[in-house]
Amino acid sequence: MVDLTEATLVRRARAGELEAMRELYERHASRVYTVVRRLAGDNDLAADLAQDAWASAFQKIREFRGEAAFGTWVHRIAVNTALTQLRQAARRRNLEQGFDGSSTQGNPDRWPASGAAERVTIQRALDLLPDGYRSVLWLHDVEGYTHEEIGARLGIAVGTSKSQLAKARARLRALVTESRAEVVDHGAS
Amino acid sequence: MVHLSEETLSELLEGESVTGAKEHLASCPVCRGELEALRRLRSELRELPELDAPPELWSRIEARLPVGGRARGTRRGWRSQIAMQVAALAAVFVLGLGLGRMFAPGDQAGPGSQLVSERAAATSLADAMAEVRRLGAQYDAALRNLEQLAAQEGAPTPSLAEQRLASLDALVEASRTALSVEPADPVLNSYLFAALEERAAVLRQMRVQQGSGSEVLWR
Ligand SMILES: [Zn+2]
Repeated sequence: MVDLTEATLVRRARAGELEAMRELYERHASRVYTVVRRLAGDNDLAADLAQDAWASAFQKIREFRGEAAFGTWVHRIAVNTALTQLRQAARRRNLEQGFDGSSTQGNPDRWPASGAAERVTIQRALDLLPDGYRSVLWLHDVEGYTHEEIGARLGIAVGTSKSQLAKARARLRALVTESRAEVVDHGAS
Repeated sequence: MVHLSEETLSELLEGESVTGAKEHLASCPVCRGELEALRRLRSELRELPELDAPPELWSRIEARLPVGGRARGTRRGWRSQIAMQVAALAAVFVLGLGLGRMFAPGDQAGPGSQLVSERAAATSLADAMAEVRRLGAQYDAALRNLEQLAAQEGAPTPSLAEQRLASLDALVEASRTALSVEPADPVLNSYLFAALEERAAVLRQMRVQQGSGSEVLWR
């Protein structure tokens, strides 16, 4: 399936036409923002990631040869941008719980400090997961990445990816169940 | 009865066969319920709605675009632009060092303005990059001092976090501008990523502190 209009837009964007870039952005902004928002777990970080992903895409649009749809290409750049920054953040934080989530403790910063009985929607529960868990869960269960692909992207073993996925699912289940039972004790592990 | 582990349930969800699991499931409503719940959650994840990008996002992206004819102001040659950005980065690092020195007894305070003018004089790219690295290391060292002191003497005041936030905002901005000139530069990229993460961490901690009166501000 060839989208002629989009091919034209890409060609014009490659020539540096701002209007064409804007049109490409408008067409795919939601898709890109959604994936980085899901991976980031945070609105501010997601906006920064989306900005970096789009800037990167337009800076290297000459590398886009049209083998895939433009949307697919920019989506891949967005995933890579998010993973790179999340990994660097984890390395920099140098917390006990690394990006591979080797500890089962959540990232304490992501947990609401008060014990207010808040309804944890699945979206909120996803945000509450440690970065590593959330990345593996989203990439595998929603984006359809294999454990081999996830391992390569995140620099972790295939087995680690599998066990991260199991832990992420269990944690998500616990978070949602907790809220549905109206028992919110975020301090418990 | 020992129930199925989270690993086994996860494998079953993938459709893998696990020795003995089928028999256990057949006789255990608890584990059947768990597996069903995991399946439901996965569906819910997949059905999460697509989100609208923030309305101001395009203008932020536009500021970094390689537009035809270099509409982003006069292009004065990337070397001199890099040097200018390095000066801006240096100013931010100096602010960070200033904060560090406020909390580091015995560390003699050097006048920041002197450092800034030194950086502005950095003309060659190699010199400029060496300075970014050196200042980055100093900034990190100053932050470590600050953390140590916070651990010993309690947390600094929120206004310090705000100052730190402002300096990080400036760093993010400077890195982004520099990246629009040299998008592939690994050093500038790593500064941008580091600054973004620190900014997010400071914001989170400010929020936590506001929400609970928790004393944890610096990690
Ligand atoms: Zn059972």
